[in-house]
Amino acid sequence: MATEVYRESFERRANKVIYLRFLEGLADTQVGPIYLGMWGALAFFSYLLCVFITAIGFGEQVGWNPIRFLRELPVLTLYPPAPSYGLQLAPLSEGGYWQLATLFLTLTLVFWTIRIWTRAVANQLRPMVPIAFSAALFLYAAIYIIHPISVNSWNEAPGHGLAAILLWTNHFSVKYGNFYYNPFHMVSIYALLGSTLLLAMHGATILSALRYDAHKEIDEIEKSDEGTHRSQLFWRWIMGFNATAHSIHVWALGFASLVAIAGAIGVITSAPFFEPNWFLWGCRADIVSSIQAACPNP
Amino acid sequence: MSEHEGAPPGAVAKYDERQREILRGELVGLVAFTILALGGVIAISLALTAPRELYGYRAEHMYNYAGVQQVDFTTYLQRVNRPLAQASAESLAAYAEWQRKNPRTVNVQVLNKYLGDKYNETANVFAYMNAYFTPGVGQSCEYCHNLQNFAEYSKPQKTVAKAMLIMQFELQAKWVNNIPRPEGQPLYQIKCATCHNGQAKFWNRDLKASNPEAFGIAGGGNPTRYDMKHNGITLNGKVPDSYEIVDDRYLAVRPDAEGNVNYFQVTADKNTPAGLADTYRNQYAMYHQNVALGVGCDFCHYGGYFKSYVTADGKFKWPKTQARHMQGLLQDIALNWFPQMPNINDVTKAQDYYAQPNCYMCHRGYVVPPGAYDFAEYPVKVADPQIKPIVDLPLPKPILPPS
Ligand code: HEC
Ligand code: HEC
Ligand code: HEC
Ligand code: HEC
Repeated sequence: MATEVYRESFERRANKVIYLRFLEGLADTQVGPIYLGMWGALAFFSYLLCVFITAIGFGEQVGWNPIRFLRELPVLTLYPPAPSYGLQLAPLSEGGYWQLATLFLTLTLVFWTIRIWTRAVANQLRPMVPIAFSAALFLYAAIYIIHPISVNSWNEAPGHGLAAILLWTNHFSVKYGNFYYNPFHMVSIYALLGSTLLLAMHGATILSALRYDAHKEIDEIEKSDEGTHRSQLFWRWIMGFNATAHSIHVWALGFASLVAIAGAIGVITSAPFFEPNWFLWGCRADIVSSIQAACPNP
Repeated sequence: MSEHEGAPPGAVAKYDERQREILRGELVGLVAFTILALGGVIAISLALTAPRELYGYRAEHMYNYAGVQQVDFTTYLQRVNRPLAQASAESLAAYAEWQRKNPRTVNVQVLNKYLGDKYNETANVFAYMNAYFTPGVGQSCEYCHNLQNFAEYSKPQKTVAKAMLIMQFELQAKWVNNIPRPEGQPLYQIKCATCHNGQAKFWNRDLKASNPEAFGIAGGGNPTRYDMKHNGITLNGKVPDSYEIVDDRYLAVRPDAEGNVNYFQVTADKNTPAGLADTYRNQYAMYHQNVALGVGCDFCHYGGYFKSYVTADGKFKWPKTQARHMQGLLQDIALNWFPQMPNINDVTKAQDYYAQPNCYMCHRGYVVPPGAYDFAEYPVKVADPQIKPIVDLPLPKPILPPS
């Protein structure tokens, strides 16, 4: 069948292959060969630079003390420049490190997208993975670049660090009057939960038809067989309709991309010139009657 | 089956068998992963909950919305293992002698002015001293008095104490007497014990450096100096050692002509300047208040919309309007009162070593400060206090429920 033939005829040539038995049950045990290429190398090095600059910022923050570095790692933060800098370049220790790190992080993501695009093309695949990845890239750009530029301040972008991104989420929500009332955030969450539901349904369905070889998904897509038929019958019984072995993947891709795309629109529309306060929007839109008591009188 | 032609014999069957094994392994892996992840979350939450409880966080249903003091001063002292100070036998004997000679007071200037003529009688002044001064600052009479002459100011402690008494009455008359509160809620008063909690020295920079916990510097929102530097928090132009609400921006806040005041508002509107640094600062302040009062955010706020003073059920959040009022009191102490207290080493000089006041100084993890008293005599506002405020802070207009 297609998979094996591909492997046997294509990868046999490669001798840089190792088998890691402990991966059994989690993934294919074959590791390598990995393709680096120019875009891979560029992505790798610019990410290295981003991590290096972040590490310098962290090091400065803990007085170059490795013990403190390890202990405080979860809360160490590379902050963006103060609001007074607007969109200007800031001195290194006052947000300049953040600007550099963000520049290289952005480059990394762009290079990475190109890398997966060129690999898809080289493999004669449709570029669906890079297209899906650009949804994530769009959310990243919305948060780190588009929104800050639109409000004229890098200060509204998240800092770099583990706690920093969580704090940013909280602070951004607080500043824009509770993000839960942002309709794009609602759609994003809806798609997020929908994605997990779809993924669970799909995963469980395939596993449930193992004995009919349903795990050989690629072959299933090419020509239906008993496993697919039974699974589809199952869902028809349960919900009256079913996805096909092909369309389930379209659903999955669509839902997952929607998470990031709706989220990005939600971030971009949160701004003084668009909608500065989603709670008040919720009041105006009258979307939840139970909040009306807390809505300010007009 | 034509695609199979390129594969070596038996390879496909073997591959299928292995795939099946792998997928079975996946199921086991999935279950194991779920158990580990859930177990991890539960373990971490348990590990974090215990100290939170120790810090005195209480569940919402246990919140003290009634504003009734739950821990009085004596109980509080027992909890922190501190004795309730009493007058020494020697000083009581000396006082008895003094009182016999001077049934009317000789040099009392403050108590009588704020609380009335009653305090022109030595016995009443004594009762006040014995009930509030000695337990409050944890010292017997001779700490402040020359036992041969209770009227004279030979000890710097007495000079300081007199200034403290003026501050206490001014704060009470201006702020606490006017705290917005629902009908029927008791009104407690600031006394020496409210700040001092039974110790003469309890709030200066040396103590703070050696024992930050005693200053309520704890909790999830406690920022480092690095955090403060990047979020523009300064005190006297420098990044402070710890964040406890008093900073340069807070000290500069004044109510506008309509009496509206903005200490910590951050929710955006059409004209809000860009940046999240203010929101960081707001959250540092809010966490300080959580720790200081031993509550969660929902004690003061409707969590769906922090700007609101009303919950989705239409209940008015009295604690929020009260806390806003108290933010004004704290600003007044920091701007006007602590800087003007006499220096114990040289009473002609002003203070230079007090730590900045914060909510924990009085509240100590409780909604009603353990050192506050339900006391029937309220100080009146006097026209010419001996210590005048440096900056005349107008009272902000209180936010009250729509009626
Ligand atoms: C000088 C001591 C002092 C300081 C400092 C202080 N408080 Fe208070 N606070 C009091 C006293 C005394 C009361 C009791 C008044 C009353 O009966 O309502 C009180 C009452 C309150 C109440 C109302 C409690 C209730 O239910 O009656 C709140 C809320 C409060 N304070 C918040 C704060 C906050 C927030 C800060 C810091 C910005 C602060 N306080 C700083 C002394 C203080
Ligand atoms: C923390 C310092 C302090 C302590 C402790 C203290 N006092 Fe006083 N005492 C003062 C001050 C200040 C005044 C002046 C009050 C005023 O002007 O309203 C005063 C006034 C007095 C007076 C009135 C003197 C006069 O001018 O007629 C008497 C009597 C007195 N105290 C007795 C006592 C006794 C007895 C104790 C111990 C139980 C005591 N005090 C503890 C600070 C203190
Ligand atoms: C608003 C808070 C506050 C109130 C109310 C207050 N004090 Fe103080 N007091 C302080 C602070 C802060 C210090 C400095 C403590 C230190 O050095 O650690 C101080 C210091 C003193 C000292 C000097 C102690 C020493 O040995 O250095 C005396 C005496 C004193 N207070 C007496 C009083 C008396 C009497 C009252 C009640 C009338 C009172 N205070 C009320 C905050 C307060
Ligand atoms: C003791 C009462 C109290 C507690 C506890 C408290 N807050 Fe506040 N909070 C206030 C007050 C009072 C204001 C309004 C300050 C002003 O108007 O300047 C405020 C303002 C805010 C604001 C800004 C709202 C606006 O108008 O823009 C936010 C956001 C906020 N608090 C979040 C929190 C969070 C999160 C917590 C818990 C970590 C918390 N608060 C705990 C009293 C409290």
